[in-house]
Amino acid sequence: MAEHFIAVENLKMWFPVQQDFIEGLFSHQREFVRAVDGVSFHIDRGEVFGLAGESGSGKTTTGRLILRLLEPTGGRIDFDGRDITHLSEAAMRPLRRRMQVIFQDPNASLNPRMTIGKAVGHALEIHNVAHGDKAKERVLEMLTRMGLTPPDRYYRLYPHQISGGQRQRVVMARALILRPDFLVADEPIAMADVSVRAMLLDLLRRLKDDFHLTYLFITHDLATAKYICDRIAVMYLGQIVEIGSVDQVYSNPLHPYTQALLAAVPVPDPKFRRTAPIPKGEIPNPIHPPSGCRFHARCAYARERCRTEQPLLLPVEGEPGHFVSCHMFGENGWKPVAQEVQI
Amino acid sequence: MDERKQSGNGIPLLQLRDLVVEYYTRSGVVRAVDSVDLDIYKGEVVGLVGESGCGKSTLGMALLRLVRSPGKITSGKILFKGKDILTLSENAMRDLRGPEISMIFQDPMTSLDPLQRIDDHFVESIRAHDKHISKEDAIKRAAELFDLLGIAPDRLQDYPHQLSGGMRQRVMIGLALALDADLIVADEPTTSLDVLVEAQFLDLLKDLRRRYNMTLILITHNIGIVAELADRVAVMYAGEIVELGDAGPLFAEPLHPYTDALLGSVPNIKLDEELKIMGGQPPDLLDPPAGCRFHPRCPYAMDRCREEEPPWQEIQPGHWAACWLYAEGKRETLHG
Ligand SMILES: Nc1ncnc2c1ncn2[C@@H]1O[C@H](COP(=O)(O)OP(=O)(O)OP(=O)(O)O)[C@@H](O)[C@H]1O
Ligand SMILES: Nc1ncnc2c1ncn2[C@@H]1O[C@H](COP(=O)(O)OP(=O)(O)OP(=O)(O)O)[C@@H](O)[C@H]1O
Ligand code: SF4
Ligand SMILES: [Mg+2]
Ligand SMILES: [Mg+2]
Repeated sequence: MAEHFIAVENLKMWFPVQQDFIEGLFSHQREFVRAVDGVSFHIDRGEVFGLAGESGSGKTTTGRLILRLLEPTGGRIDFDGRDITHLSEAAMRPLRRRMQVIFQDPNASLNPRMTIGKAVGHALEIHNVAHGDKAKERVLEMLTRMGLTPPDRYYRLYPHQISGGQRQRVVMARALILRPDFLVADEPIAMADVSVRAMLLDLLRRLKDDFHLTYLFITHDLATAKYICDRIAVMYLGQIVEIGSVDQVYSNPLHPYTQALLAAVPVPDPKFRRTAPIPKGEIPNPIHPPSGCRFHARCAYARERCRTEQPLLLPVEGEPGHFVSCHMFGENGWKPVAQEVQI
Repeated sequence: MDERKQSGNGIPLLQLRDLVVEYYTRSGVVRAVDSVDLDIYKGEVVGLVGESGCGKSTLGMALLRLVRSPGKITSGKILFKGKDILTLSENAMRDLRGPEISMIFQDPMTSLDPLQRIDDHFVESIRAHDKHISKEDAIKRAAELFDLLGIAPDRLQDYPHQLSGGMRQRVMIGLALALDADLIVADEPTTSLDVLVEAQFLDLLKDLRRRYNMTLILITHNIGIVAELADRVAVMYAGEIVELGDAGPLFAEPLHPYTDALLGSVPNIKLDEELKIMGGQPPDLLDPPAGCRFHPRCPYAMDRCREEEPPWQEIQPGHWAACWLYAEGKRETLHG
């Protein structure tokens, strides 16, 4: 495992379900939300690794586990060659500077009563990296890199005095001020306006190169993921159903769920109107996930075996790094269904 | 286009004329909808797109005369089936909302009664539309509609909170159909839905419009959804409609520089194109720029753009834009 920058093996996060008192009296077992249920992947240095999937599939929980913001129920997390799964908070501290996170909603992440300069420079003081004028200098430099110019004007402003897109740039400045080498970006552009999204994406790409960053990029938008990610994992109900390079997964999607997700992405051009209907059904309850393949109830190809036996994540021949978890895959005569015809 | 114009009695179902909606805030007057002209024909889906704060929801609410205070419709006309609804009494207006014009919001819980089962919602709607129908028959009709909506009929007895977001949105469209509404205004109906559920909902809308010749104004910031469903598209910027046309030509050859920039900034999963980044941000509507409101962000802005408002012109048959490039004979600038 050591050669990868980040490696995650059989990671699990089961949240106990809050039961009411009466329920608790009569049930002998505690119930759990299996938010992340046996996930393995790695991220190499300098990569943008995407996690995609519908709401509740476990993307954010996976990100928080890697950042050690949650205590995993099981599995192992290696960061830069070191097993950090059960490191104490004190032992984590020096690593915290190296791993940062930005969330979807910049408003929730910024203190309305703190100036932008303070918000961005705060971490420098806390981690005893720089103080006073030295700290201010670094903040101004960072604001400039974020395109918040002239930086000394933004330094003095409060969050409510700037636009949403600018606020997200402040959040990015704050995350990068300690020069981390790993950034979890959890739906970083989901709240932004269409035109601002393009700008933020472009900025994220440039920052990656400038600061030699590695990203875990969480998104439910496969069009955005295609634009920024190098590799991608598709999650469903706490598990990875398909993983590979963006090229592999997008041009040869093998899991029926990946195929459905890709087909469902609205294309901003009426030339590409969808002709095939989308499979029916919605994500089942994660407390009692379906037996066998968790996708079977929604899958057009499901057979008896899919209902009883859980498929394994298997390598795709001739496509190194591409893995899929589906019983149909590898079976005689099984061919990936062509994406819908273009008209 | 022509066929549509000739259908029915020839007049559009809805005509907006010089519509102005303003918010009277403490810091000043926000003109959220500025002199909008728009015709909607029976059976068409018109997408209304634009970025946050450009006035889409305000325009949608104005169609039902539901603009929230401190907002007011300050001038113009809203002709529905040829009659100006701005002259109607509040009572007459209440009769119009629902059976004639139905609205669907991003959060369906705002329109559903949390204490009423889904079937009661349907029975009420069906009987409001047809007073002679018995309760049993109304429930039967509701079950038929449910089937069409792709929801198991046993969910009819559920309360709204027991349904998923996708199902609730289906219920909303079902209620509008139960009332046989002539016009449905849907404001970001899929914005809180997951991709697959959103696509299922769009499939449903496609199916329903075929069956019912539904007329729909689809308000959204998601350009992909408009591309998927709309026959015509209206692009709003800073309170104004800056471009209007059939979806095909509008996407293939946008006339307004804002539309062009907007379309260029959306990632397209089918292509491998670099995104075009639009500089700047939409103006503060308390103090919009003079001339063309897009001029501070427009790569083609000329002196005239900074001073005079561009005229709303039909550049090609059925394809309108408000931009000086056309009056100045410089259309190659955009599509050289
Ligand atoms: N602290 C918690 N306690 C209990 N359940 C939780 C907790 N955090 C997450 N969950 C549950 O775990 C599952 C996965 O949640 P998670 O937030 O990781 O999903 P996600 O893929 O990030 O979804 P979204 O796209 O909505 O952000 C969900 O069913 C969620 O309700
Ligand atoms: N109650 C209000 N009081 C004052 N101004 C308002 C009010 N509601 C809306 N506005 C202003 O009117 C303008 C248009 O708002 P509207 O909600 O119609 O935009 P929108 O296009 O629907 O945006 P979004 O995509 O965010 O929903 C905005 O500039 C907004 O600030
Ligand atoms: S009128 Fe001028 S500023 Fe406005 S969009 Fe056209 S060219 Fe650009
Ligand atoms: Mg999440
Ligand atoms: Mg709105």
